[in-house]
Amino acid sequence: MAEPKYFSSSLIQRRKNFAWLIPLADLRLTLTLLSLSMVLIFVATLEQVRVGIRGAQSEFFESFYGIWHYPEQFWWGEFLHPLPIPIPGGYLLGGSLIINLLAAFLTRFQWTGKKMGIQLIHFGIILLLVGQLATQALQEESRMLINKGGTVNYLERFHGVELAFIEVTNPNSSRVVAFPQKLLQQDGLHYFPDLPFKVRVLQFGPNCDFKALPPAIRATGPSESVNRGVAQSANLQIIPKPEDFSSEGMNFAYVVFELLDGAHSMGVWAAISHPAGNHFWAQIDPSIADLAFQPIRKNGELWGVSLRAEREYLPYSIELLGISNEFYQGTDIPYNFESEVLLRTDDNQSRRALVYMNTPLRHEGKTFYQYQMNKAADYTVFQVVRNPSWLIPYLACILVSIGLLWQFSFHLARFLSRNASSNHRTA
Amino acid sequence: MKFFSSFLILFAAMALFIGSCGENEKARSYLTKNEYEGAVAAWKLPEDWGENPSALGIMAGSFHVKTAEGPMGRIGVMPFRESVDISTIINMFAAELGHPDYNQTSILSLIQEIRLENRSFELVRLEDKKANTEPRSALLALYRAEGQTWLFPFVASRKLIDEQLENFHAFLSSTILRSGSTPLRAINPSPVPPSTLGHQPTWEAPDHWQRKPTTSIRMGNYVVSGESGESLDFSITSFPGDVGGILANVNRWLGQVGMDATDESGLSRYMSDRMIDEKPAKLVIAESNDQALYAAILFHEGRSWFLKLMGDRNLARSEKKNFIGLLDSFCLGDH
Repeated sequence: MAEPKYFSSSLIQRRKNFAWLIPLADLRLTLTLLSLSMVLIFVATLEQVRVGIRGAQSEFFESFYGIWHYPEQFWWGEFLHPLPIPIPGGYLLGGSLIINLLAAFLTRFQWTGKKMGIQLIHFGIILLLVGQLATQALQEESRMLINKGGTVNYLERFHGVELAFIEVTNPNSSRVVAFPQKLLQQDGLHYFPDLPFKVRVLQFGPNCDFKALPPAIRATGPSESVNRGVAQSANLQIIPKPEDFSSEGMNFAYVVFELLDGAHSMGVWAAISHPAGNHFWAQIDPSIADLAFQPIRKNGELWGVSLRAEREYLPYSIELLGISNEFYQGTDIPYNFESEVLLRTDDNQSRRALVYMNTPLRHEGKTFYQYQMNKAADYTVFQVVRNPSWLIPYLACILVSIGLLWQFSFHLARFLSRNASSNHRTA
Repeated sequence: MKFFSSFLILFAAMALFIGSCGENEKARSYLTKNEYEGAVAAWKLPEDWGENPSALGIMAGSFHVKTAEGPMGRIGVMPFRESVDISTIINMFAAELGHPDYNQTSILSLIQEIRLENRSFELVRLEDKKANTEPRSALLALYRAEGQTWLFPFVASRKLIDEQLENFHAFLSSTILRSGSTPLRAINPSPVPPSTLGHQPTWEAPDHWQRKPTTSIRMGNYVVSGESGESLDFSITSFPGDVGGILANVNRWLGQVGMDATDESGLSRYMSDRMIDEKPAKLVIAESNDQALYAAILFHEGRSWFLKLMGDRNLARSEKKNFIGLLDSFCLGDH
C-alpha cells in the first residue's frame, strides 16, 4: 500500500521496520479503548454501591476483566439482570492504551521539531498510564496506630493477614515466623527452619461468623477437626462467609491448621483475626482472649500463634508525644487533626515532627498521613503509603505541559511570522 | 488476523510484566522486641512423659507417664495469679486422699524445700489414707516468683511417683517461669465473692453427711463415713467460665479415681442429661475397681457449678440415692 505523500522519509522507514505495529496504532482503536474506559468507569461506579470502593477497584480496575450484571431496578432489569456481561478491566484497557500509544509513536508520529509538542504530549500520557500501572503493582498502604506516650516500630496492612508464630521465652527479644495470607490461601505443608514444627494449612477464609457452642454440642464446619487451642476449649463454631469489600466491612479472617513434629501430629488449631486488632478478643469474651496468643510449647520454648493483620517492621520507631483536634466552631466537623511525633532511627538519631492534614511525615520512602484520631482514647492512626513510582505522574504532567506550550508556541510563532510577512507585503 | 496476533503477543508480554511486579510470597522470620505481657511457662518433658491436651482445663500443661500398661498418673502445671496460701492449695488434694484440712501451722511439717537450678521449690507429698489397694500419692511442688505461684501436682500410684522422682525433678529444673501483667490461663482458686454472685445457692444434705467447714474453694463441704472406716468426700464448687469445659473436668476426675482419660466420643459412657434447679445439667457417673465418682455439672449465666461425690465405690453406691436427692434439692437462688 502506498504511503501518503506528506509522510517524511524517516517515518516511511520506521513504518517499514515496525510494519507489524501499524494495526495497533489505529486511531479507531484509541477511540474504542477510550469509549470502553468510560463504560468501565460507569459500571464500576454502579457496582461500588454493591461491593464498596475496594471491591469495585479490585473487581474492575485491578483486573483484566470484570463480570457485570445489569441492575434489576433499571428498565427491563428483571430480564437482563441474570445475564453475565463481561466488561474489559483496568489492566486490559490501560495496557492496551499504552500499546496503542507506543505503536502510534513509532508508526504514525512524525519526529520533527514541528510535531515535537504532539510527541511530548503523547509521551506524557504514556508515562501517566505506566505510572498508574506501576502504582497499582508497587504501592503499599498500611496503618500505624500509636497510643499517646507509646512507641511503635511496625506497620499493619489494611488488607491481608498473616499467621504469626511468636517465641517469647527470652524476655528481651521475640523470634517471629510469619506466613502471609497468600501462602495460607494455598493450603498445604509449610516448613521454616526457625520453627520447631511444620505447619499444614487445612483451611483459610477471608471472613467468617463464629460463636461458642454449649459444651455438649459438637462444632461442625471448618472447626470440626480442631482439637487444640481456644477453638477447642471454647467450642468455637466457625461459619465461613464472603469477604466484605465495603468501607465499613469487618472481616474476621480464619485459618485452621495442623502442627507436625516430624511426621507426628501435634494437633489441629484454629485462629481468627479481629479486624480491629486481636487485643479486642479479651473484651468480647474472656474465654476466647487467647485468640491473641494461643500458647504452644516445644523444646522448652513458649510460642504463641495468632492470625493478625500483616505486619512490616521498620528500622525506626515513632513515639506519639501529643495529639490535638480542632472543630469548626459550634459543630462536630473537624478541620484539623494534629499529631506531634518523635521519630527515632536505629543509629540514635531523632527528629520531632507535626503531622496534620495535607502535611505528612516522609521518611525512607514512606509517607505518614494523618488518618484517624481518638482524643478520648488518646491514640492516633497514620495511613502509611509507600509508592516508589510517586514521581511519575508529576513528570508526566510536566511533559504534557511542555508539549502543549511547545505546540501552541510553535503555532503562535508561525501565525505571528505569517501575519508580519503579510503586513509587509501589503505595505 | 495480523492485528490480533500482534495484539495478543504484546498483551501477553504486558501481563507477564504486571504479574512479575508482585512480591514473591514466602514466610518471613525476624527478631523483634518482646512485647508479650502474659506469663511465660515453658518446659522440657522427660522422654517417657506424654501430653494430655484434652485434660488442660485450668492448667497450663497436663502430662502422663508412658508405661507398658498405657498412660499412667497425672502431672500438671497450674499458675495462680498471686501468692496463695500453701494450705489452700494442699487442701485441694488433701480431702480426696483422706487427709484432714490443713492450716498454715499444721502444713509446716509436710513442707520440704529443694533447690533446683538455683531456684527454690516447696514440695509436699500426701499419701492416700483411703484406698487399701492401689494406694495413690500426690506430690505437689510449688514455686513462687514475682507475685505469682506455680503449682506442679503429680498424682499417681505411690510406686510410679517413686520411680519418676528423678524425672519430676528434671522437669521442674527445665521450667522457665516468668510472671506477666496478664494471667496465663488459670484463675485464682477462690470462688467469686458472694457480693458478685448476688445470691446464694441452697441444698438439702442427708443428716448423716457430716458438714465440714467451707473453704475458699468449697462452698459446700461434707464427708460421708461408712461402717468399716471407708469414706466419701462431697463438695460444691463454682467458678467463672467453663473452667476448661466438660471433657477437661471429667478427665481430671477420672484421673482422681484412677481411671483412664476419655475423648469426646467416650464421654457418653459416663455422662447423661439431667435437670437441676430447672436448668439443663450433666450427670457424671464413673466407677473404678474400688473408687467411684458421682458428679453434676451445671453451666449457668457464665459460671460453672460442680457438685461432686467421690470415694469408696461400695459406699458411693449406697449413697447414690441421697446424692440424687441432694441434686434435686439444689437451688441457685436466682428465682
